Amino acid sequence: MAYGKKVLDHYENPRNVGTLDKDDKSVGTGMVGAPACGDVMKLQIKVNDDGVIEDAKFKTYGCGSAIASSSLLTEWVRGKTVEQAQEIKNSEIAEELALPPVKIHCSVLAEDAIKAAVNDYYEKNNKKEIA
Amino acid sequence: MNISFNYVEGESLIMATKDIAVSSGSACTSASLEPSFVLRAIGRSDELAHSSLRMSIGRFTTEQDIDATINTVTKAVEKLRALSPLWEMYKDGIDISKIEWAAH
Repeated sequence: MAYGKKVLDHYENPRNVGTLDKDDKSVGTGMVGAPACGDVMKLQIKVNDDGVIEDAKFKTYGCGSAIASSSLLTEWVRGKTVEQAQEIKNSEIAEELALPPVKIHCSVLAEDAIKAAVNDYYEKNNKKEIA
Repeated sequence: MNISFNYVEGESLIMATKDIAVSSGSACTSASLEPSFVLRAIGRSDELAHSSLRMSIGRFTTEQDIDATINTVTKAVEKLRALSPLWEMYKDGIDISKIEWAAH
């Protein structure tokens, strides 16, 4: 079964690959997955004083669908408020990338990654954590 | 022949080697996403088993084919390591085996 066009595009031209300073208070870092499972995503967001995500970076160890899911997520969260970013559902990512059933877990991991990044940001800024 | 490139996942390597017939894991598990039980049996960690690439040479394989393959695979590994959080941690001197990964 061939990879979807959008997955290939994100794989060939990943967006926002990189690292933000995890010690910066305005940066939230989420690291999810496990090497033993073949999927690890690190997602970082930089939040400005208005609570808007002005920058997002990712690094992923995983298959093309995992790389595409996290790359797409960094595109989607930029310009959103932290609360809006939390609302992103894995089903939206899966639909946008046309992920086959066997790769849906990659989109789930991406959703976990943004939630982990938001939680980290909240923790650092003494705000209430999301479930 | 099975080679493992640490910190780079096998399936993403396959996507980068478009002109070469390759597989990840081992022949016995080629239809599944699970890492190969053969690799695990010879003591490879799950992580290395997920990071492997399998290729064969036959009587029509030329030296040029091999050189071209080495070139392609090297470039792919470099590109994917730049994307990999595990490679970044390794470069920062973090002992990855000590990390407690969140269950998912």
